[in-house]
Amino acid sequence: MSVRTLQGKRRWVALGGCLLWLAFTLFPLYWVAITSFKTPIAVVGGPTYLPFVDFEPVLTAWNELLSGERGAFYNTFIASLIVSLSAAVLATFIGAMAAYALVRFTFRFRLLSALIFVVVAFGGFLLGRNVLGYGQGISLIYSFFAALALAVISSRFRLPGPELGNNDIVFWFVSQRMFPPIVAAFALYLMYTEVGKLGFKLVDSYVGLTFAYIAFSLPIVIWLMRDFFEALPVEVEEAAMVDNVPSWRIFFGIVLPMSKPGLIATFMITLAFVWNEFLFALFLTSSKWQTLPILVAGQNSQRGDEWWSISAAALVAIIPMMIMAGILSRLMRSGLLVGAIK
Amino acid sequence: MSQVRLEQVTKSFGSVTVIPPLDLSIADREFVVLVGPSGCGKTTTLRMIAGLETASSGTIRIGKRDVTDIRPGLRNCSMVFQNYALYPHMTVAENIGYGMKVRGTSKSDIEKSVAEAARILNLGAYLNRKPSALSGGQRQRVAIGRAIVRQPDVFLFDEPLSNLDAKLRIEMRTEIKLLHRRLQTTAVYVTHDQVEAMTMADRVVVMNQGRIEQAADPITLYEAPANLFVAAFIGAPSMNFIDGIVERGEAGLSFRAPGEVAFPLPENLAAKLGSHIDEAVVLGIRPEHTIATAADLPKIKLHVRDIEPLGPHTLVIGRVGSASFTAQVHAAARIAPDDLIEVPIDMAKVHFFLKNTGEAVGR
Repeated sequence: MSVRTLQGKRRWVALGGCLLWLAFTLFPLYWVAITSFKTPIAVVGGPTYLPFVDFEPVLTAWNELLSGERGAFYNTFIASLIVSLSAAVLATFIGAMAAYALVRFTFRFRLLSALIFVVVAFGGFLLGRNVLGYGQGISLIYSFFAALALAVISSRFRLPGPELGNNDIVFWFVSQRMFPPIVAAFALYLMYTEVGKLGFKLVDSYVGLTFAYIAFSLPIVIWLMRDFFEALPVEVEEAAMVDNVPSWRIFFGIVLPMSKPGLIATFMITLAFVWNEFLFALFLTSSKWQTLPILVAGQNSQRGDEWWSISAAALVAIIPMMIMAGILSRLMRSGLLVGAIK
Repeated sequence: MSQVRLEQVTKSFGSVTVIPPLDLSIADREFVVLVGPSGCGKTTTLRMIAGLETASSGTIRIGKRDVTDIRPGLRNCSMVFQNYALYPHMTVAENIGYGMKVRGTSKSDIEKSVAEAARILNLGAYLNRKPSALSGGQRQRVAIGRAIVRQPDVFLFDEPLSNLDAKLRIEMRTEIKLLHRRLQTTAVYVTHDQVEAMTMADRVVVMNQGRIEQAADPITLYEAPANLFVAAFIGAPSMNFIDGIVERGEAGLSFRAPGEVAFPLPENLAAKLGSHIDEAVVLGIRPEHTIATAADLPKIKLHVRDIEPLGPHTLVIGRVGSASFTAQVHAAARIAPDDLIEVPIDMAKVHFFLKNTGEAVGR
């Protein structure tokens, strides 16, 4: 039964219920909006609801925010924009390629190869650090590449032990999101500072922050895109294969256009995640590449909870995402696959 | 020259062998149909020719080339899929021309080829439409158009008509045949529909459990099936089988079966069955060969269970002994369920098979 089929009184009850729910969801947003136009005194002086009626709107909070009096607003806004857009684009792109490979190709390797990687990576680091006397950064880089090379080479041989496949790889990717991010944030900060000592500045840099976000977004991108690619009819790709279309062209010319709604949905989710991300930004940036969530949190200063300026900053953080979602939701429409099969 | 040869080709998925060693050669310009029940390995065989599956062992040749380990794109085959497999984001013209575009053919050449394909397939009015705006038959024609602009050595069709409704299927059947006659390209066509196989093929390859049961032209399959499987698979309604034995009496050989079936065998059959006296055999007779009017034909008693009037004639479904039996009678015949009728057997059209091997006797 649809709400449309209701008649008479029940119809009004349903409408009333919907309106109530609408008010319930919109009110916090409205509250933030009006608070940003209130004076500090109006904020603390008890609840007022209607601008021009029970309080006189002022632009104090906005003036302070946009003039940079409360943190480098433009700089932060642009940093947020650049980092989140580029991280979302790159994560979606790289993740889509990984997901496609995991859906259409079969990977097999032995658990032993993975163990070799772990043992060599950790052991090599400890060895370099404590026995050979290298710095942390150098030990880290050497042991990582040695571990990677050994794992790849060892997977060429018929090793004993259980064999792992595509599902194990996917699980490994997704498991990256299971531990508390603070663990990674700490480790990442330490690693970044060590690498920074070698001359590659990663803390408070575009590359460092974007890298961290890409790495942290990839699991979810791979997980989502894998589902989209699995839903694609394989015959379309087979038809292209028989027609001698090279693999990369099948991916870019056929698979990606067919999964456009999925790509856009995934991009949107990743973008929202990066845009809203607080913890990594807090650890990995200090001034130049600070992002909006840090700025918003920063409004809560020594002077107390300055709700008017928090509200203004929060609105600035919300609005671009709303615009983005508005634009992209048009492209997310389904039905793109109609006509491919049957 | 583009004959296709499969030599001792096998295919296993893990420990499951789908195709035991299989030999098949398809002549240049031949239209070969692989037919069989689902799971018989016909599609796997086709996909191995296309290169979408790699053969576990054996050799596949197209023309003079050994293509066993060559990737699909380099085999110069065109494939039409059951579910069309069009590129949904491209127009009809782009769909047909995509392969050429990828290969770097000049724009004017692509346009020429696409226009020619569209003319042959009556797609001219739809070139700028997306596949989603086409009917099933039109979509399958686009898929065929995409296949013909390739100018392949071999056409591969994987049940291309199964998703179409019955009327359209018959139309497309003719269209594909005409297309083959015009293009004269070797074609391998997979279907589970024996009528499609019979009507389209130069040669039908009947497959079962990965093996070729019989490969012959449609009429040979119908008139001289090599074994019980082919006899049962080809022809609709399918052949009747009565289990019985051949006995030697005073008047020569006769066939005896439960349900009061007993009649002498004519000279030509007696000669073939002479070495199988007292062996279990299966008599096969098609429903359409039970309608002969000659007076001296042996008759068998049929317990009628149901009648199916089809217009030109009527099918009578019943039992002979414990075997189910379908007879064909004149449309005007007055028969009702539970009747006991006598059905004539056209001895010239009778087949005999050995019970234990299923092989046809005297081939």
